Amino acid sequence: MQYIKVEDLAFHYEDEPVLENICFEVNSGDFAMLTGENGAAKTTLLRNILGLLKPTKGSVMLSKKNRENKKLVVGYIPQQVASFNAGFPSTVLELVRSGRYPRGKWFKKLDEDDEKHVEKALESVGMWEMRHKKIGELSGGQKQRISIARVFAMDPDLFILDEPTTGMDVASREEFYKLLKHASDYHGKGILMVTHDHEEIRHYANKHIELVRKEGSPWRCFSMDSCKERSKHPSSFH
Amino acid sequence: MFLYGFMQRAFQASVLISLIAPMLGLFLILRRQSLMADTLSHVSLAGVALGLLLGYDPTWMNILVVVVVAGILEYLRKVYRTYSEISIAILMSGGMAVALVLMGLNDSGATVSIQQFLFGSIVTISVQQVWMLLVLTLLIIILYSVFRKAMYTLTFDEETAYTAGLPIQFMSVMFNILTGVTIALIMPIVGALLVSAILILPAAISIRLSKSFNGVIFIGIVVALFGMIMGLVGSYYLGTPPGATITLIYIAVFSVIAVFK
Ligand SMILES: Nc1ncnc2c1ncn2[C@@H]1O[C@H](COP(=O)(O)OP(=O)(O)O)[C@@H](O)[C@H]1O
Ligand SMILES: [Mg+2]
Repeated sequence: MQYIKVEDLAFHYEDEPVLENICFEVNSGDFAMLTGENGAAKTTLLRNILGLLKPTKGSVMLSKKNRENKKLVVGYIPQQVASFNAGFPSTVLELVRSGRYPRGKWFKKLDEDDEKHVEKALESVGMWEMRHKKIGELSGGQKQRISIARVFAMDPDLFILDEPTTGMDVASREEFYKLLKHASDYHGKGILMVTHDHEEIRHYANKHIELVRKEGSPWRCFSMDSCKERSKHPSSFH
Repeated sequence: MFLYGFMQRAFQASVLISLIAPMLGLFLILRRQSLMADTLSHVSLAGVALGLLLGYDPTWMNILVVVVVAGILEYLRKVYRTYSEISIAILMSGGMAVALVLMGLNDSGATVSIQQFLFGSIVTISVQQVWMLLVLTLLIIILYSVFRKAMYTLTFDEETAYTAGLPIQFMSVMFNILTGVTIALIMPIVGALLVSAILILPAAISIRLSKSFNGVIFIGIVVALFGMIMGLVGSYYLGTPPGATITLIYIAVFSVIAVFK
């Protein structure tokens, strides 16, 4: 099922074009990686998809429904998510529990199932022991990991991740990609992730959207080189 | 001192303000809107002056003016994301200037009462004011318990809140309006110059004392009750302005905590 469809998208900041001729789709079960040099408008593209920016031209479709025909839940990790206000008074547990709120829990108490998701999410990033710490007192990599845990706790249908592994070591990155791949292969989640990790992630992603600088344009404008797709063969997950 | 009706009303008002202040104050601090509270209190002086000049009930006139300006501020915050300090500074001085000009135009004896509004007065708290404050407090407590999770999410990060499906625009406007009404109601009691301090300091203190979001509110209420009641008693015996006395107590508490933590 189609979760994201971008058709002939162009985006300008003021009069300055930064994106042109972008077309791709992300479906349920896809693990798509989005790459490009610094300033290639990757973040801008994600923000267009999420509706935080309006395309100058073309269209973005973000599905309203998931594959079970329920409301599609989107889990977004912005770039520099870890630079949140260090004074924000919250424990790790409170923050990760807030990931459950969009799951119909704005006005309801979290139940046992919610708490299980929270515990699992915290364990999957190795932060369960730190759950009573204040979020402002964590290291950069730990902040990044609890932001990931918050999104895992949400258990979204579609992950939109902007350089989510910044500041994390190789082993935890590898672990994170495995979890994502499992989520897309076995639970039909859609994933669109900005990353600079070409080499590592090649083994996990089944789609590669690369933004390259447009030749002959006076602007620093980026377009798609290609959208390479590899047929998806659920790898043996362990 | 409780034999005096005005002291009873002052204590009732203090308890109510202590319940409201940490909730609003925490969100004002985290949304970096402390300055907005200050602006609204200056504007609310203009509201009172306008009410006195036109002969309307200053309390209602004040609420009206402050709510309108709170709406304008939200608009400015959105349009001039990076320059919002400037628009706030203009509105703040504008509010003060309008208040002073309106006072000048009014040649009845109203300058006396504008003094009261600048520095606050507990002698003049009316039964109506206490009732209005009670209704507002109940409203804020109910709204807080219903929208606690949504406000937590919104305050942590507006963009992820938007992608999680929250009506962030509407919530921001409602929050500003509520802040405006609160300021308009407590301004005559604690004084325009110190309303924002009264709203913000309890939360500023309790943020340092608690690791969790709910803890901040709870400790904030305790801090506010302590500061408000001590301040009121102090101001009664020393004959000092209540707003200033309360603010000094908060600052003392803040300093003690800053030294020991
Ligand atoms: N709010 C903005 N206003 C104007 N230009 C912007 C804005 N945000 C980003 N840009 C410009 O758009 C280009 C793409 O930025 P961005 O999407 O952040 O790139 P990336 O995420 O690929 O590093 C950059 O040249 C940047 O300077
Ligand atoms: Mg970026």
